[in-house]
Amino acid sequence: MLAVAGMLALGACSSSGGKKGEEKATGGNGPRLKIAMVTHSAPGDTFWDIVQKGAKAAAAKDNVQFLYSADPDGGKQAQLVQTAIDQKVDGIIVTLAKPDAMKDVLARATAAKIPVVSINSGAEDSAKLGALAHFGQDESIAGEAAGTELAKIGVKKALCVVHEQGNVGLESRCAGAKKTFSGQLQNLYVQGSDMPQVKSSITAKLQSDKGIDGILTLGAPFAATAVDSVKETSSKAKVATFDLNKDLIASIKSGDIQFAVDQQPYLQGYEAVDELWLYKTNGNVLGGGRPVLTGPAIVTKDNAASLEGFAVRGTR
Amino acid sequence: MTDPKDAPLVRLAGVGKNYGNVIALRDVDLEASAGEVTCVLGDNGAGKSTLIKIVAGLHRHDLGTYEVQGEPVAFSSPRDALDRGIATVYQDLAVVPLMPVWRNFFLGSEKRKGFGRMDITFMRRTAKREMAAMGIDLRDVDQPIGTLSGGERQCVAIARAVYFGAKALVLDEPTAALGVKQAGTVLRYIVQARERGLAVIFITHNPHHAYPVGDRFLILNRGRPIGYRTKEEITREELTALMAGGAELEELAHELDAAVSGSGSRAAKELAEGADHLRKSD
Amino acid sequence: MTQAVAGPPAAVPDERLARESPLRRLLRRPEFGALLGAVAVFVFFSLVADAFLQADSFSTVLYASSTFGIMAVGVSLLMIGGEFDLSAGVMVTTAALVATLVSYQLTLNLWVGVAISLVVTLAIGALNGLLYIRTGLPSFIVTLATFFMLAGANLGVTKAVTGNVASDSVRDMDGFESARKVFASDVDVGGVNVKITVFWWLLFVGIATWILLRTRAGNWIFAVGGAAGSARAVGVPVARTKIGLFMGVAFCGWFSGMHLVFAFATVQSGEGVGNEFNYIICAVIGGCLLTGGYGSAIGAAIGAFIFGMVNKGIVYAEWNPDWFRFFLGAMLLIATVVNLIVRRRVERSA
Repeated sequence: MLAVAGMLALGACSSSGGKKGEEKATGGNGPRLKIAMVTHSAPGDTFWDIVQKGAKAAAAKDNVQFLYSADPDGGKQAQLVQTAIDQKVDGIIVTLAKPDAMKDVLARATAAKIPVVSINSGAEDSAKLGALAHFGQDESIAGEAAGTELAKIGVKKALCVVHEQGNVGLESRCAGAKKTFSGQLQNLYVQGSDMPQVKSSITAKLQSDKGIDGILTLGAPFAATAVDSVKETSSKAKVATFDLNKDLIASIKSGDIQFAVDQQPYLQGYEAVDELWLYKTNGNVLGGGRPVLTGPAIVTKDNAASLEGFAVRGTR
Repeated sequence: MTDPKDAPLVRLAGVGKNYGNVIALRDVDLEASAGEVTCVLGDNGAGKSTLIKIVAGLHRHDLGTYEVQGEPVAFSSPRDALDRGIATVYQDLAVVPLMPVWRNFFLGSEKRKGFGRMDITFMRRTAKREMAAMGIDLRDVDQPIGTLSGGERQCVAIARAVYFGAKALVLDEPTAALGVKQAGTVLRYIVQARERGLAVIFITHNPHHAYPVGDRFLILNRGRPIGYRTKEEITREELTALMAGGAELEELAHELDAAVSGSGSRAAKELAEGADHLRKSD
Repeated sequence: MTQAVAGPPAAVPDERLARESPLRRLLRRPEFGALLGAVAVFVFFSLVADAFLQADSFSTVLYASSTFGIMAVGVSLLMIGGEFDLSAGVMVTTAALVATLVSYQLTLNLWVGVAISLVVTLAIGALNGLLYIRTGLPSFIVTLATFFMLAGANLGVTKAVTGNVASDSVRDMDGFESARKVFASDVDVGGVNVKITVFWWLLFVGIATWILLRTRAGNWIFAVGGAAGSARAVGVPVARTKIGLFMGVAFCGWFSGMHLVFAFATVQSGEGVGNEFNYIICAVIGGCLLTGGYGSAIGAAIGAFIFGMVNKGIVYAEWNPDWFRFFLGAMLLIATVVNLIVRRRVERSA
């Protein structure tokens, strides 16, 4: 039986043709690995799209078969990890947005001798749950960088626009910014899935408090909307944001947006796959048991132009 | 076209209907002429509703012929039947309860005045007038029809059919869910419709409602006709007996007579008196 | 005013009609409960939030209300017709994506994309209706299926075509400025900037109300929702009416989608999920019965207005927004209970 299955698998491999063979030739040496990434992303999130692009780039280079799945619900994400274990993958990449939900299933992965790497959120739980390494941005540190930067451009009273209520990562960005920002920073909660509502809420806030001279959004699409609101209410507020996309780079160049705090999602995907490959082929571990930070990288008018090409490609 | 006076408005001959391999109706003959009430009687499951659906155009018959004014027809929708002057008033499907009386009155045949606009003034006035002609004095044609009594609701449906030029009126158990007094009201409108020259097909399972108003009686049992008589050919007692399964009822009456002397016939007498009373109140 | 419809007939004066005061007539309107609620919410936020009463703020509240309200017009008519459309939220995103993707990828004038989007969206509405009629399944199930399919297709197609999860910006393309004037411009009303969607919203509510109360189609909508069997029996084309209603929702979805395109230039493919319930909430607060056959477009507009006031009022009042959904739920409960009580009282006293 096994032999038949093996032959079938081999047959499937060879029949998949030229493109794969090409990857094999240019890719890394050693047997083809299978690595699964399981995240807490909701469908259609730009950020996770870039993470995947990074992971796929590393997978292509290292001759790795890359599998992606995601579910925002902690329990369902754990089930997806379990399916990866059942598939006998060679490595698992997880996000630890809800560490408690992932605890048992990661213990099972360790028991099955499958190496685990965590990315994005959950730096403090990563080692505890048996992950080899963690690649991510410390949201609090990133927030602090944003706070410093806001103060630098002369903002006194700013809004922190939270587009997903109850998201711990977003809350700690605002909290971090509050820590280093010399002025006053207050949170504004909006429903990120409905852009007109985001806009009218920001507009409402600007109308009710004319003293606001800075807006910090926590996702790239919301920055553009904040700029619209600012123009509409003829407010003098300066807009800054987390994350990056190509439209945003154009806005930074034009001066509509002051700066962007990039946590380099591409790097998270890329490094995680590469680390697992290194571990399987050479036993290397990055970070020495501590989180490896992929951000914050600050993008301003000065360096925006050099990143433009990458952003158009959808990798920055 | 033959003269409507020569051929009955509605004539069924040997009509039958199957639902899959279930025989719902067989060999039914029926005539309804202008100014006459044809009653269709039968217990539950006798095939009354199948018959009414064929006449109303909801279902097509499989066997026999269906003629309207001497012309064979095969309707594909209630609209077709309406266009030939056959209007049906259903027991439970008569009206839309939450809609005002006037909207119900004109539903499906709205009077319009261009650009898709309805002539609301005309419709409200007409609804009120027609209801008054039927003897129902509405306080407000805007009240939801669900606030009217069951008898009044049936009357709206009847008045509507009459107004829209129905030549034949099919009434599906209009008295079934009503109290004695309200049933009397509805029977009165049946007679009124007959006097206006309509052909009425009155479906009921109550011979005491049927006998006072009917000119012909078709009795169905398990999908087959077990009797088709004119009023002269049948007495109320015979009708009741036939309707309840003939011999079976006689047997029952004997048993009752034997068991409790006289009580069975007393009940029958009371029923007969009740029906007489209904007729007098007309 | 639509009240004219409810006015007594001039021809036949009836002494008993005098007993029904104008107040009673108002009480009997389906939107009366919602109107009370709207006044209460307005007074409430006027008292607790200083900024709420400024003209600019009011314009923002109206904008928020209009984006819910335009969809609520179609959704309320559909609900009066006895059906639901759970795909209404993502259909907006679909409409927007179709317009941007088609225009951008083929480098066409945006108006072409707008027109193609209209055709596609109306086809989706017609498909919803046809599926409902043909399968005989509850519309809840049928549109739940289209909801999932559209949500998936939005992501899948966008990713396949653009390589990203958002559409490319169409801001610098031909037709953007002229279409923006129609779908997403500002109108100066006495020194206050009012979004054009507010006027479209009012226009749509007016048209829907006219259809409902003055036309044959309106009569049919009430009838197919109130008692589809009775309606069919008197010759109302039930299937055609319901399909038309689903297409009405699709039209509103198309319009809202075009607003997204020309207000924000790029469209996030994952947007719109969850909004379908907001539209239903607007309709229900506005007095539409979940079971169909009763309600009004004006009521749904008031529902949307309440929704917008609460949504933005919490910002103006600088409250903890954690409680927003709690308020929303409480409002929904109160509105429906008030509607129920009002209707029962009126029906009993009639």
